[in-house]
Amino acid sequence: MEAIIKVEGVKKAYKKRKSKEVIQAINDVSFDVKRGEILGLLGPNGAGKTTTIKMICGLLTPDEGSITINGNDMKTQRLKALKHISAVLEGNRNLYWRLTVKENLEYFAGNRGVSRKDAAFLIQDLLHKFNLKHKENELVNRLSRGMQQKLAIAIAMSAETDVILLDEPTLGLDVETSYEVRSILQSIVKEYNRTIIISSHDMDVIQDICERTVIINNGNIVINDSVKNLLKLFEVRSYSITLGGFLSNHQLSLISHKFPHHTYKKETFQSILEIDLAKSEEIYQIIDILKMDETPVEAIDRRNVNFEQIFMKIIKGEKSNAFAQSS
Amino acid sequence: MRLLNLLNANIRKHFIEMKRYLPNTMAFIITFYIIFLAMFAGIKLIGDPSSQDANIQYVIVNYIFWYLAMVVVNDIGWQISNEASQGTFEQLSMSPMGIWRIMTARLISSTIVNFLIIVALLYISMATTGQWLNIDVITLLPILVLTLISMFGLGLIIAGMTVVFKQIQAFLQILQFILAALVFVQSNVLPFLVFFPIVKGVELVRNVMIDGVSLSQIAVGDFLILGFNAIFYFIVGLGIFIYCERFAMRKGLLAHY
Ligand SMILES: Nc1ncnc2c1ncn2[C@@H]1O[C@H](COP(=O)(O)OP(=O)(O)OP(=O)(O)O)[C@@H](O)[C@H]1O
Ligand SMILES: [Mg+2]
Repeated sequence: MEAIIKVEGVKKAYKKRKSKEVIQAINDVSFDVKRGEILGLLGPNGAGKTTTIKMICGLLTPDEGSITINGNDMKTQRLKALKHISAVLEGNRNLYWRLTVKENLEYFAGNRGVSRKDAAFLIQDLLHKFNLKHKENELVNRLSRGMQQKLAIAIAMSAETDVILLDEPTLGLDVETSYEVRSILQSIVKEYNRTIIISSHDMDVIQDICERTVIINNGNIVINDSVKNLLKLFEVRSYSITLGGFLSNHQLSLISHKFPHHTYKKETFQSILEIDLAKSEEIYQIIDILKMDETPVEAIDRRNVNFEQIFMKIIKGEKSNAFAQSS
Repeated sequence: MRLLNLLNANIRKHFIEMKRYLPNTMAFIITFYIIFLAMFAGIKLIGDPSSQDANIQYVIVNYIFWYLAMVVVNDIGWQISNEASQGTFEQLSMSPMGIWRIMTARLISSTIVNFLIIVALLYISMATTGQWLNIDVITLLPILVLTLISMFGLGLIIAGMTVVFKQIQAFLQILQFILAALVFVQSNVLPFLVFFPIVKGVELVRNVMIDGVSLSQIAVGDFLILGFNAIFYFIVGLGIFIYCERFAMRKGLLAHY
């Protein structure tokens, strides 16, 4: 499938106003997003997610490199490129608080050149879908944070663009609202064939919704892979070994030396060793260590890892060699 | 058609906000009226009685024009300054219509929505002073339109500066007085002043409203100056605004937080 978004060799530095200190927010980032794809943009605080999203939205000009939306270069054909893009940016900063829910939807449609009459049907549809119909005449500043966020997403949807970018759509929402926003996002994915980029700290959002993820850290891409692959990769190499006895101190020190990131738990009659392998062959080394004292092995299980754990590992750089191999 | 929808949406928004925050709107108008009363009282108390009528008429026209300049030029600065800190400015900047078209639509809608208020203020001040001016719409209209276009240019310059500089509020306060100076100054003091925005327009309006000059009596040269100013300031304003927008996009200044 063709790429609707192309980010090629993009760099961006900010200069602090007072100290003149230069912050290299994005180092050299390239990735594509295919039409209809749902991409998760992950990274710790300050990684450069918002910077990347704003450059794709044409709100920030890259220092180097290019961004193309549906074949339109963001630098030379910005307005054409913007026809294909809408976004919900960080925080509850996307709405006019002095206008009502419906007035907001109408005003933003107007700013894209669409009349109230032409937008009316779509707006009603979205109000129903987002469960905002009963609030249509309420002022935005009287809405809860969750409703505001839903409205912001509805406005982005109302532009009917191919691409929607969402920067931290569930940040600052309580569990219930966050869940509701997530299910709305899921239904958007199912019902409308949109290309979506979501940045989030919320791994559930990424695991539930996204097909692929780009993980950035310190302005560099560390991973660009499908969520499925990442899960599989880590599942294969994370083992939980149930032992019918206990490890000797000698065995433990060997394991600690070779696999610094293991955990070892003693129970009454058993003990459990949890271990992540960089290469699948390393399982033999474990077996060898167990064999030394003839420790009985009751079970070797693959451990279920969730995306949060994977993310943490990647950010800490623990498994960098594993990824070098997989890619 | 898309441009018309854009204008429509902005007029509607402006009108809704004005109606919804009627107390604020009223307070602004009343403040303006009180300033006028102060000027009126000043003329009555300390002005030369022989030229009193002329002075009052002069003040009425100028002060109505000052109001117009304020709602067009100054207001756009406040709007952007607020929207940049609220975050909606980034949403506007993502419109495929281009932010300068939205800003121009805002300037036009400010003018249209405030026009009723301006007319009301004019009649109230004429009634207060008993000085009934010559309201020759046919003559006033072309003068006003051309002057407004140069004001829009000025508005775009202010808009661009507000996008780039965060702390523009102090400047906007000063700007009120710069606008007052442009309105109150007379070009016979310094002839090149006619090439300043607003100056020539308000002078011609004074000629019409106070001295009863009609369209056919206005020199072609005057209209040429007015037309030149309109084109010049609008194009310069647009250029500066677009430059400021690009600058802000490079430096990450579209949102001030
Ligand atoms: N306008 C700005 N001026 C100066 N520095 C900035 C600006 N915006 C971002 N930065 C810096 O650039 C880096 C990347 O910031 P960015 O906001 O893109 O990160 P992020 O991944 O979105 O983080 P978060 O998870 O906190 O939202 C950070 O070090 C940040 O401090
Ligand atoms: Mg961010």
